[in-house]
Amino acid sequence: MRIRTVALLIILFGMLVVLSLTYAQNAPEASEKGKQVYENSCAHCHGVEGRGDGSAAENLLPKPRDFTRGLYKIRSTETGQLPTDQDLFDIITEGMPGSSMPPWETALSANDRWEVTAYIKTFYDGFKEAETPPKQISLSGKVANSEQSVETGKALYSELGCVECHGNIGRGDGTSAPDLTDEWGDQSWPANLTQGWNFRGGSDTEDIFKRFVGGLAGSAMPAFEGDSFPGFGLTAEESSRMIELDNKDEMTEAEEEESAQLYEKYDAAVDIALNLAEGTELSAEEKQIYDDAMKVVYEKSWHLANYVKSLMPEKRPEPAIGNNVLRSQYVQGELPEMDDAAWGTLEASYFPLVGQVVIEPRQFNPTVDAVNVKSYYSDTEVAFLFIWDDRTHTTDETDEETGKILEDALAVQFPVKVPQGPTAPKPYFLWGGRLPVYLWHWKASAPEQVTELTAKGISNAEVQEAQGELKAQGTYTEGQYKLWVKRALKTDDKKDLQLDPGVFVPIAFSAWDGANGDVDTKRVMTSWYTFVLEPVPSSKRFVYPPLIALLSVGFLFGLRAFVQRRNSEEV
Amino acid sequence: MKSYLLASLTILLVCCYVGTVFAADSDAGDMEMLVFPENYKAMAVNDGGTISGVVKFEGDVPEKKALEITKDEKVCGADEKFDESLVVGEGNALKNTIVYLIDISAGKDFDKDAKVEIDQKGCKFTPHIQIVPIGARLTMLNSDKIMHNVHIFSKINKPVNKAQPKARRKMPLKAVKKAEGPVEVKCDVHGWMSAWISYVPHPYFAVTNEKGEFTLENVPAGEYKLGYWHEACGTNSKAPVAVTVEAAGTVTQDFTLKLK
Ligand code: HEC
Ligand code: HEC
Repeated sequence: MRIRTVALLIILFGMLVVLSLTYAQNAPEASEKGKQVYENSCAHCHGVEGRGDGSAAENLLPKPRDFTRGLYKIRSTETGQLPTDQDLFDIITEGMPGSSMPPWETALSANDRWEVTAYIKTFYDGFKEAETPPKQISLSGKVANSEQSVETGKALYSELGCVECHGNIGRGDGTSAPDLTDEWGDQSWPANLTQGWNFRGGSDTEDIFKRFVGGLAGSAMPAFEGDSFPGFGLTAEESSRMIELDNKDEMTEAEEEESAQLYEKYDAAVDIALNLAEGTELSAEEKQIYDDAMKVVYEKSWHLANYVKSLMPEKRPEPAIGNNVLRSQYVQGELPEMDDAAWGTLEASYFPLVGQVVIEPRQFNPTVDAVNVKSYYSDTEVAFLFIWDDRTHTTDETDEETGKILEDALAVQFPVKVPQGPTAPKPYFLWGGRLPVYLWHWKASAPEQVTELTAKGISNAEVQEAQGELKAQGTYTEGQYKLWVKRALKTDDKKDLQLDPGVFVPIAFSAWDGANGDVDTKRVMTSWYTFVLEPVPSSKRFVYPPLIALLSVGFLFGLRAFVQRRNSEEV
Repeated sequence: MKSYLLASLTILLVCCYVGTVFAADSDAGDMEMLVFPENYKAMAVNDGGTISGVVKFEGDVPEKKALEITKDEKVCGADEKFDESLVVGEGNALKNTIVYLIDISAGKDFDKDAKVEIDQKGCKFTPHIQIVPIGARLTMLNSDKIMHNVHIFSKINKPVNKAQPKARRKMPLKAVKKAEGPVEVKCDVHGWMSAWISYVPHPYFAVTNEKGEFTLENVPAGEYKLGYWHEACGTNSKAPVAVTVEAAGTVTQDFTLKLK
């Protein structure tokens, strides 16, 4: 009997040692190697001392993380807890989309990534001082995605207040969005929940769950952990009854009594949750109450995660090249107006935007992801619908630094003359050069007006003297701009682009988000893409295959020509 | 051997340099903070004395800054709100100054019945300055029935950023273990909301009222350093005032503060 107890103790002890070792051995001890990796690959952003003040930091937003505070956004751990080593290793491996933090999966070996993980932990003493491993968020009890679950999650989305920052349908345009700052006082835009590919920590349902349960430490995004849920410790019915009673202007005596009882139960559960968080052992009975309460909260949280997941497409749309080239569809007679249901049936072509970083002032921190485009044409006219997300509707704000007027805007760029043949040079993509470009310029302050420009360089654009008969209509709703433009296929103006079915026409875009300081060359843009007035169906069979072949060849040549052109123009 | 010496010297120099940089940094930070005794012991105090006084503002009183209410107009904009970083009353009385004993090592215990609460009402934190005993839970009330989030910018303790959904009327927060303060409390949802809390190891802290008055009661007889902190006027941590408290006696110590 004694021997068995001793043996049991030894086994238990052994298990403990193994357990603690597995934790401690996640990342190696900080070494010279880790320091070296850090100084070669990370210090120019994160600073030699890990304060986030490397030489490249100045222009970046979000700023490279200051590691001395131990604040990490992407954790598998509860709020107020440090990340696990695996969390750090993973984020270093995968990078943080939507920010300048690069993925290091290919540039550094797994070993180097572990070494540097250990090294960055030395910037914050809390890692050393921690007596217990950080507490991880439990992912058990996952609720499968279903229409019903999404519906329940949707109600929670507004009940819990996600809507305040992320907006009614998640485009990051909540009423609090423009005023959010992070721990260091820098602007902190709420994520656009319809663009999962820009999430820092991935957009799987589990990722989403962990983000709002644990919060993103150091950002404005709060944690929605267990006891912050209304009615913690109550059943769903009790919880809604409590809220119902709370909202009554006057209660009867019986209702007062009922409310007090609910509050008592709820206060007791919250008390238990806090005791646990403060490190107090719970009795078996308390543990039961806590577990039951958390079960309800976690179930709700999975519904919410399912809802957020339902807001985004499965993956980032493919850019408008190859099979996804923008093809204007032929219709007979009148082209659809802006609100016509006909637009709904068309797939949009997706044109990702990037910050303009060639010419001062540059934009290193773009906020507009992409512009989506649809188009119809008739025998005489062409109509486009341009759609892009912008968290704020800015029509005239004065930039504090430069005194310039900031406003949201879009420009659509074409060559004045379509290059004849696949090898013919296109104008320089930054608004032309020796070869001019023809532009449509729209501003949020004049939503019914598109101005035609001719440009021979990004700072060399002129408003055309003869403004053609362009029709335009622009709207802003729920964090999204829609711009409808209609023009005749042919005009009398030599400075205008003339359009013919079946001809591949270069097209490019620039967008400005006033609230992000975009003005003049500081903007987001694309390089050249292609669009075509899709030939009418009868001739389609004959034109299509050779065109595709031509396009592919043309694309390659075009690319080469573009590179040559760019090189020669930059001299 | 020579290179060895040279290397050591370099390292030493670098260390000194880094040392001064750190010292300079932490100095600047400490100036803004309260100073706490290392070990405080609670004990029964008999015949304690009282320190009281009035804090006044010196200088041109800046015009009250109205806060811009950018959302939830109905709840938040019902009355006009002003920036509370400097509240100067009649006769230049300075509200919201913390006056406290810097170097007390033993004295009375906390008043266990005192409510440690901050209410969020009309999208404003009340009070603007709250003293929180370490080990006690700060309870956030939400009288607004709209969403708030409690964002506490601690640096020594873990920062808190916790949602307080609209139906969450009363939300106690986990107690902290380390003395720290003042740290700012903000609501990101309503960016203008701001308050300050201090996690303190002993109860000899007072916050001045509208008339600029403060009182520290039941102080064991002895000599103390009396400190203050004000959001806009700074601290006297570098040169605190010496006061002598006699058994059951009353000392008066007034302060006149300028913008920092
Ligand atoms: C081009 C600049 C840049 C470089 C180089 C860079 N980072 Fe970052 N890093 C960032 C930025 C910016 C952020 C903050 C992103 C955010 O907060 O959304 C960040 C954040 C992080 C985080 C915080 C993750 C979290 O969960 O909050 C870690 C860890 C990190 N970087 C590690 C590294 C390591 C290790 C290296 C070198 C191997 C490195 N970074 C190189 C820019 C950089
Ligand atoms: C006070 C404003 C605020 C509230 C309320 C809020 N968020 Fe956020 N959220 C943010 C901000 C700001 C970010 C971007 C953080 C960053 O990366 O700096 C963000 C980011 C996110 C992300 C992206 C995480 C990633 O990996 O990049 C998700 C998902 C998210 N929030 C979900 C939610 C949900 C669900 C709720 C409600 C339960 C919610 N948020 C409530 C401000 C808020």
